[in-house]
Amino acid sequence: MVSLVSYLIVSAALLGIGVYGLTVKRNAIRILFAVEIIVNAANLNFAAFTRYLNPPQVSGQVIVFYSIAAAAMEAAVGLALILVAFRLNQSIDVRKLNKLKG
Amino acid sequence: MVQLLAPSDLVFVLLAAVTLIAAILALQAKELIYGAIALGISFIGIAGFFVFLDAPYLAMLQIAVYVGAVVVLILFTIMLVRREETEALSELPEGGQGAVGLWLAGLLAVAISGVAALAGPNLPSTPPTGDLPVSSLGLVIAAEYPVPLVILALLISAALLGALVLAKLEK
Repeated sequence: MVSLVSYLIVSAALLGIGVYGLTVKRNAIRILFAVEIIVNAANLNFAAFTRYLNPPQVSGQVIVFYSIAAAAMEAAVGLALILVAFRLNQSIDVRKLNKLKG
Repeated sequence: MVQLLAPSDLVFVLLAAVTLIAAILALQAKELIYGAIALGISFIGIAGFFVFLDAPYLAMLQIAVYVGAVVVLILFTIMLVRREETEALSELPEGGQGAVGLWLAGLLAVAISGVAALAGPNLPSTPPTGDLPVSSLGLVIAAEYPVPLVILALLISAALLGALVLAKLEK
């Protein structure tokens, strides 16, 4: 069978990919992609730990359940914000969204 | 760590490769639409991991919510945002920021993997026997965590109303 460490490594790699997207990308939609990837890495960790460390309990799965719902919500709000930013600014380049800069 | 002999290990490696490559493609694809589709494939890979981890309900939820709702929402948003705008931004930023981001991400992933591998001997290498019945998740949510469920419902209502108000905002 697959060891717990394998899941942790896959999850760490997903986190790395997400952080790369967060730091490098300029497109707001791609930054949202990166956030979703990071949330998924966390969900994978919760499910793996709950499977390997306390098998009769499913508390980790409960957390993943809430996390999926919250992440879907966050995507809806984020996309609405991106639409508003595009309408006001004619651009979704996060480097051009600097109207609040003093 | 991962022996390529047992069929379940082979499936795990394939699943990991699909998930990670799709996640990279989601960020690096030239066209944003292809990126969104790659993101959906990556989410399906995560759902496969959930099946592996004896969490079929989570796998179903993942496919229904992420692949069914979030990716479709993203696709619609991409269509509402002007096309040339989304294409022009796909290139890597100028200067050294790309390299810095790559180093940061690589360092983070390697550090966490290293810690996990160091702790490896203390962690179980095989899951304990005994399955987790699907019904137990529903029972635990309804019996032990009812208040978070209600709070989640309120939160979702508030967030959806907020999203509607934002999207209807007039200039």
